[in-house]
Amino acid sequence: MRPSVQGSSLLISLVLLIISAVGVRAQVVFPQEEGGKATMKCIIEMPKAYVSGLCILRREGETVKGSIFNEFGISAMDFTYRIDKDKVKLHTVVKMMDKWYIRRTLKADLREVMKELRRGGRRYENKRNRITYTFDPIERGGGESDGSR
Amino acid sequence: MRGARQIWWLLVVAFVMTSTAVSGQQMSEEQIRQRIGENVKTMRSVQADFVQTKHLRILDDEMVSKGEMSYEQADKLRWEYKTPYTYTFILNKDKVYLKNERKSDVIDVNQNKVFKEIARIMMDSVVGNSLNDGKTFKTQIGEEGSEWVATLQPQKKDMKQLFQKIVLHFDKSQVCVSRVELYEKNGDKTTIELKNIKINEAVSPGKFTID
Repeated sequence: MRPSVQGSSLLISLVLLIISAVGVRAQVVFPQEEGGKATMKCIIEMPKAYVSGLCILRREGETVKGSIFNEFGISAMDFTYRIDKDKVKLHTVVKMMDKWYIRRTLKADLREVMKELRRGGRRYENKRNRITYTFDPIERGGGESDGSR
Repeated sequence: MRGARQIWWLLVVAFVMTSTAVSGQQMSEEQIRQRIGENVKTMRSVQADFVQTKHLRILDDEMVSKGEMSYEQADKLRWEYKTPYTYTFILNKDKVYLKNERKSDVIDVNQNKVFKEIARIMMDSVVGNSLNDGKTFKTQIGEEGSEWVATLQPQKKDMKQLFQKIVLHFDKSQVCVSRVELYEKNGDKTTIELKNIKINEAVSPGKFTID
């Protein structure tokens, strides 16, 4: 009887461990380690419209490289975030959004978004311009190790 | 330096000669256009699975997504991503329905220029109609093994801002598009491969319903 109870406990522990491991992978919002990646669905909501798409972040030393694109694969923007300097650099922005005032807002917002994601948060609201950024981690296939949390 | 240039020219000449020799046995660009055009006229529906691979230049990474598509002549298209995220795009005449995990929307394509363009490119690319759209694209078609390959250079300002070029691969045996490659201005590339293609089989009417 006792061995069976022990066996059941072991099985339950194992199942809990697997469930918690899956849970941890699902929480990936910021690459904490060298080479780590985070893949997320993102929605940017503005007062009169919203855009949805995907965001991928990849850590290289103190730099996080990021790309945001729509579900069909069309790029919206590429950027880098320097963690040590707390600075965002926009590399490319899709032509229809490539205006100086949009770039300025995006740079400031992405800086706050990166800090929020680094803290484990998933949502940032620019109250002044009433823009909300929401991120939901997704699991990519192929069993890739992303070295993130 | 001069030697290297001569070698390069020799290679070019050899390539041109080989191409000319091969093209002697191949269909002309006009014949390929005609063959695809004839098939488009008889194409009532297309259903397929798709694999979309987005190559991100800045990250040196690839994002693979998979789903199903259905097309019905003349203006109905369903494009549904199933993994690793869910997203549904339905075009039915002049209405587009979008649905993700959080939101759903119906958009009138006549009031949204961007969606009108996206919807038209997706549909025309899948069927092969883009080849005849001389105003939007300058097209070159060639034969490569079991495929015809059409390279589309955008001519309109909106399209030029998004894409360097679009390449359509046609399966010769089925005379339909089997792969679409979208080359973006930022160096990214998206490849959409169509698999298990079913042509002119009945499509459930519910596939194109917009609530």
